Amino acid sequence: MSVARALPVFSIAFAAIYIASVYYNLALVTYHPQLGQWALLVEAPKEGPAMYWYGWLLTSALGAGAVAALSLALPARPVARASAVLVWLVPVAMIALIAYILRGYFLR
Amino acid sequence: MISFLLIVHSLAAVTLLGALTHQTISVWWPARARTGSFVSSLRSVPSMTYTNAIIILYVLTAFLGSLVYPEYRLNVRVMLQDFRLHVPEGAFELKEHLISIGLGLLPAYWYYWKYPGAKEAAATRAIVTGLLAAIVWYAFLTGHVLNNIRGFGS
Repeated sequence: MSVARALPVFSIAFAAIYIASVYYNLALVTYHPQLGQWALLVEAPKEGPAMYWYGWLLTSALGAGAVAALSLALPARPVARASAVLVWLVPVAMIALIAYILRGYFLR
Repeated sequence: MISFLLIVHSLAAVTLLGALTHQTISVWWPARARTGSFVSSLRSVPSMTYTNAIIILYVLTAFLGSLVYPEYRLNVRVMLQDFRLHVPEGAFELKEHLISIGLGLLPAYWYYWKYPGAKEAAATRAIVTGLLAAIVWYAFLTGHVLNNIRGFGS
């Protein structure tokens, strides 16, 4: 059984967890660029803006890693068959969702 | 230093764009026979050899982008908001998220191109490559427009 077969599952989970992280602001770290300070979890802006992007990436990478590891316990063939479609369908759906979330910028 | 990083980021992005575009064309529109013309050469590149370079370039470009990103948040985004340039601001927000989704897609991209057990998934490989190319094209054009609005030395 190859660990590599979990890679498509990682990508599927990453896209879904990333959009959830953005929507619910589930950043594991916050960066305050004006102060050059890092903080654990979500912190409100102190001086200047707060940046959560790095935290969303970290949340997504760890979450997707956990989901991918769990997927290794499932039978390989059905997971591979489902992954072959979901690996592009989920990111496309997440892109459509984030575009919808950001529609306010383009409709003003 | 920021200008230097922005230039290197742009150069890495151009290289990535070229490599990924070549690979996408060769996988979606492969040449049946190489005639020696420019278009035929473009369609018949050995696409699999591009994979690792594309992954390295994507990660490098995203990493360099992450280094200049705080400068954008402090000095460019504020200006966009002050001048009510909502579309460029939103376009950049979308770019940020597309690049992240693309980063997450890289393990699957590697798997469908390089893993021996996944070689038969040609359709998935083509779609994932096309999706990655669309993300990189969008990010490149958005970055270019934003740089034109408030780039070097402004």
